[in-house]
Amino acid sequence: MRTSSQAAPMLRTILHVVGWSGLGLIALAVVLSDFLAHAPAGAANALHMLEAPSSAYPFGTDLLGRDMLSESLHGLSVTLRHALLAALIAIALGGLSGAVAARLPHGAGFMLRGAMGVFAAIPVLLLTILAIGLTARLYAPLAAGLAAAPFAFVRAFDRVDRQSRSTHAQYARATGISVAMLLRRDLTYEFRDTLAPVAARALAAVTIILSTVSFLGFGTTPPARDLGLMIGAAKAYYLQAWWTAAFPALVLLVLILCARLAAGLDEGERP
Amino acid sequence: MMQFAVRQAGRFALGLFGAAVVTSMISAVSMPHAHGLAPFLEAAGARLLAFAQLDFGKSAISGLKVTDELALRLPATLALVLAGSGAALIVGAPLGLLFGAGPIRRAAAPLMQILAALPVFCAGLALAYGAVHLLHWPVSVNLPVAASAPVFSGDLRTLQMAAMPVLTVGLAGAAAVQLALRRAASQSAAEDYRSGLKRMGLSAFEIEWVYAVPQVIAGLLASLGEIMRALLAAAVVAEWVFHRPGAADLFVKSVALADWNMAALILFVFAGLAFLADFGGRIGAYALVNEGKP
Repeated sequence: MRTSSQAAPMLRTILHVVGWSGLGLIALAVVLSDFLAHAPAGAANALHMLEAPSSAYPFGTDLLGRDMLSESLHGLSVTLRHALLAALIAIALGGLSGAVAARLPHGAGFMLRGAMGVFAAIPVLLLTILAIGLTARLYAPLAAGLAAAPFAFVRAFDRVDRQSRSTHAQYARATGISVAMLLRRDLTYEFRDTLAPVAARALAAVTIILSTVSFLGFGTTPPARDLGLMIGAAKAYYLQAWWTAAFPALVLLVLILCARLAAGLDEGERP
Repeated sequence: MMQFAVRQAGRFALGLFGAAVVTSMISAVSMPHAHGLAPFLEAAGARLLAFAQLDFGKSAISGLKVTDELALRLPATLALVLAGSGAALIVGAPLGLLFGAGPIRRAAAPLMQILAALPVFCAGLALAYGAVHLLHWPVSVNLPVAASAPVFSGDLRTLQMAAMPVLTVGLAGAAAVQLALRRAASQSAAEDYRSGLKRMGLSAFEIEWVYAVPQVIAGLLASLGEIMRALLAAAVVAEWVFHRPGAADLFVKSVALADWNMAALILFVFAGLAFLADFGGRIGAYALVNEGKP
């Protein structure tokens, strides 16, 4: 008979598998989006404006008569491409730099940790909006990655700092292993053990940020539309035509949920 | 205790100084002739000195002092955050304690994961839709003018209009509250002192009330900074979705219109609020757990 303590890790494994499988299917849908979509991106049809979901239009149509199923697929493609780029920046400038900084000598790492802590105290959404405002909407993925980096930096720094105070690290230092060797070893373990969950976590975080800034009008520039911009555009009439916002929101929810499950995040935990 | 408080106060002061440096750099963007690294750093230094004299500059849009303009808008945001934190506690505290461990948590986990994956703006829009179609309440989502009605009011219609933005902010905070409580409760449940106290003859209620409850509340207090950041970020979205003229909404408009003095001040105030919550929470948590110990 299975005990509750045995069931919990199994449930966790199942959720991981569901998350990664979901992300795989989403990636496949994005690759095949041009084949799966009934219409090219932005194809308007004045004869079918604001039609409710039907067999012809399973997700309905929007104010310009665009097929919401096709638009959601194209929007997902834009969202995922931007989010992957932003996640890569957040991991490189945040996670990797934080792990290296935790090994810097003479308090230099702690000074960097303090400086990054200031940025990490500001909500990432506000930092992203600011970074886009200072540059251009074209750079929204870069801005989101840069804004998420301080948070990733602090998290990686604290994790590696805890490791460096562990018993095995003290033994290693006592046996004369150099700091550089220890750093290489820690980075190897850090990336081997945590790269996949860290990447999924970063993907969930920047997807939320990018879709929110697009919703607020700071993200993707039309005619290209991501899911956040689609929902933002539907805000004016979604109270009468729910499908215009509900389906892009549902697609966005599935993407973030899969990334959260793949990252193994706790319920309610911030990615 | 005093040593801990001094250390945290130092950390708080350093954080505020760092935020002031960052915001002076943002503010320097608006200064003419601040192109190139040296002139920019010079301008940022000048802005930092001006900040020290409480001169935060003028708005590029209205021409008013940014402090005066923020003073008009900030109370609305603070009221929203305050009411939202109340809602976060009401929703998040029972969830956190109920889902602390055991079969209820496993049963509710999929639903909680789905709710946690919903971006705040989607939650806001969904709440507005529900308010209109299920409760037949008025919402300010697509009003032609900003809904400037206060959050705390005796008027029923005003309360109904304020309910959804408050709930939007509250739900974002509730996720952080329940997580902090759940983690603290799980940690407390696994503590070794429980068996020792039982052997000393204390009842389960006494152990929970005297030892576990302070530990759980301390866990919540220690996460206050994190909760405040979640509430502030949600306030930005809620004010935008529900068309409410607060400081968070002003930040979005200031950045869109390149009013850098205004954006810098709002960012500084928000960072200050997060640091203050972090500082107060850590002191409170330390006092609660270590009070009476030598």
